[in-house]
Amino acid sequence: MTQSGDHIARRDPGIVMRLKRLGSLHQCRLSFMRSLTRRMAKDSWSFSRPIFDIDDNGVGHAVYTAQGPERTYSLVAFAHDLPPEMRSDRVIATAWDATFTLFDGIPDDADIERLSKNVPLQEAGRVSNSEISVSRANRSVRLWAHFVDALASGRQPDQDKIDAVGYLMRTTAVYGSGKLGAIDREGIADRKELAAPFQAEMLSVFLTRTFARDLVQHMANVKGGDQAVRLDPAIARGLGIGNSTGLGMAPFIVNHPVLFNNWIMAREEAIARVRALKSASESEKALFETVLSRSVVTVDHWRSEHPIQIAKLQGLNADLELLSDHLSSTGLANAYPWDCLMAWAETALSEEGQELVASLILEPYDEIVDGLATCMADSNKDAFVIDGAMRVQEVRALIKECFGWAFDVDWNATVNQARAWYVSEEKLEPRLGERFEEPIEDYEQPLAPARDAVAAFKAMESFDATQEIAAFLLEHPEHRHTVRRAQISAIAPYGEIRDNTISATVRPIDMLRAKLSFFGAICFDPRSDRWVRICMYAGAPYPEELSTANADLWVYPEASA
Amino acid sequence: MSYSLNEMEATAKRATRGAGYSWGLAEEASKAARWLCAQGLDGSAYLVRVLESDLAINPPLHRPKTVEGVWKGENNLCPLAVGSLLSDCAKHLQHTPIEMHNIAVPSMLLPFVAQAARALGSTICVTCDGLLAETNGTALHQNQAFADTATSVIVARSTTVLKPTVHVTRAFPTKESWNSLNQFAHRTYAPATEESRKLGAGAGLSDND
Repeated sequence: MTQSGDHIARRDPGIVMRLKRLGSLHQCRLSFMRSLTRRMAKDSWSFSRPIFDIDDNGVGHAVYTAQGPERTYSLVAFAHDLPPEMRSDRVIATAWDATFTLFDGIPDDADIERLSKNVPLQEAGRVSNSEISVSRANRSVRLWAHFVDALASGRQPDQDKIDAVGYLMRTTAVYGSGKLGAIDREGIADRKELAAPFQAEMLSVFLTRTFARDLVQHMANVKGGDQAVRLDPAIARGLGIGNSTGLGMAPFIVNHPVLFNNWIMAREEAIARVRALKSASESEKALFETVLSRSVVTVDHWRSEHPIQIAKLQGLNADLELLSDHLSSTGLANAYPWDCLMAWAETALSEEGQELVASLILEPYDEIVDGLATCMADSNKDAFVIDGAMRVQEVRALIKECFGWAFDVDWNATVNQARAWYVSEEKLEPRLGERFEEPIEDYEQPLAPARDAVAAFKAMESFDATQEIAAFLLEHPEHRHTVRRAQISAIAPYGEIRDNTISATVRPIDMLRAKLSFFGAICFDPRSDRWVRICMYAGAPYPEELSTANADLWVYPEASA
Repeated sequence: MSYSLNEMEATAKRATRGAGYSWGLAEEASKAARWLCAQGLDGSAYLVRVLESDLAINPPLHRPKTVEGVWKGENNLCPLAVGSLLSDCAKHLQHTPIEMHNIAVPSMLLPFVAQAARALGSTICVTCDGLLAETNGTALHQNQAFADTATSVIVARSTTVLKPTVHVTRAFPTKESWNSLNQFAHRTYAPATEESRKLGAGAGLSDND
């Protein structure tokens, strides 16, 4: 029986919000994919594929519907015959193997006709407020042909080849929130099923994985005729959907401090609640040990060619051994077992290992954790509004609280401001450049909150500490964005990254991973310091298999696999 | 063509920055344009009128010197600078009306008045050269649109209880104003070079495997 214990404070933002740690986060019970599959199973969503009109060359369209208690959503998929030389994950690509939109309702022929002229063009097309997201995907060259050939010739694909990649298709962008003319987030945020962040995007990707499975089967059937066999459902279950995430996502977490705070704070609150438990029941301990052993399988399957991630994985493997030894010797027998475990991890494990433990201890506690998912959206629109009556000294104190560390940084040193974030003329996507080597400084985006905070703090020195900040802002509009952020930090303590986002050594992949871990991604595979591949929904039930029994822990592969 | 309000907001922010305003004021302007669009007004056209007035070339000429007294500048007042100041001074409105002289595009003040109204939880009345507008932050009541410039604007709390109004969920900017916003926005985009294409987004390992 679980006993409540003393209050344990959430971890200090000064520890949590360092980039190295944010770049080591793992999925947890609160991840958006798992929230979605749990809800769909609990509410008995039904799924269908009313249209699969794809020809022998793999060209055509398909519609997948997901029907919840109040509304139906449809993934409209367009399959294309893409010349291999045009296949690129980069945002500058102009054609893809498949393109998608999540339609609000069930599309009629006129909708399909309209969408067929726009969705395949992606950024060059327009959608309407009947569409919630727009996305695209490319085939994995390594796996696609192998799957088609194997199934066509009557064989199942080779598990080693599958393990090396993990998915048949990877999405390269999923646009929501009003992009390309789609409906605004505000237009759907009050729907129960879409209230948590990114639920529509996660639904789109969930259905896209099904489309990839169906399309590869279709192509194998075309090729093999009577010889072709059906893909073994167990193999299909292990397939995820890949995703390539580029630099464009990194500024998101800086530009949405309240939202990002809500994600981190929900997880930190969950961790604190579990740490505060005085004891754990045998079944709770057993569940933790099960997900831990299943996580060992995940880490074992986790491949990366990138030196940074290779080193981190070595560390994580060593952490898992230490953790195993620690649990064998000390176990979870002490009072406050989870708090003891976390305290030990902080002294013994790398950030990768510490954050894995932090995520795993939440697993036995759906009742005290899952409700926090409702706190993860940002509905506080007026957090944007500056309180001009706040005194200069209060704003300075808020800056010190978040950015105290930044006062020790020499902001005149080249190395500390070597980079600048800018938006390129092409595709209007964020990029990161070398401030002193490229002509980009004039185009710099406000993505260096720490540098700007120190500058604003210094500019306030000549103002009376008791004066209202309105007077300062009247004279110094260049510091307005910083004062806004400082005031937001008072209600969003986890909203600011506590590291230099423009230093010569900044690694945007750390920012990408922080965001993607909340989606529920696994197997982070950086392809440079600025873009990363991940796997989503590997192990998840397909729509027709979804039930309350398999809707949650699918993210952990079976230990025997 | 219709645009999502998020598209309007994002484009307005870039445009305002492109016209030379600080990022903080660009954020204000983008929320303001969005709010006007949600009221069924052409926030895009109003913002373009402000940006085309070149008030950001020498900002101190277009803002009051102090928060106290009647607000006037050496030249006409910029509604983005003064609007932000008005929002910052919301609490002053609790007891004292704010008066200002010689304002460019006074309609652009309305979203900032709305911010102040929400902060105070009260209706606020704007008297602009004899024309009235009232907002409680979400609803806007206005019989006649303000002229392009105003000699005198007085902003004061009001006891009027406003009926809720229906908000528009899409923006319908004129082609001209949308193009103009995008031209201003374009000034914030770094010209693409082969180097930035390769390095800026991080080429790295193969993306076609």
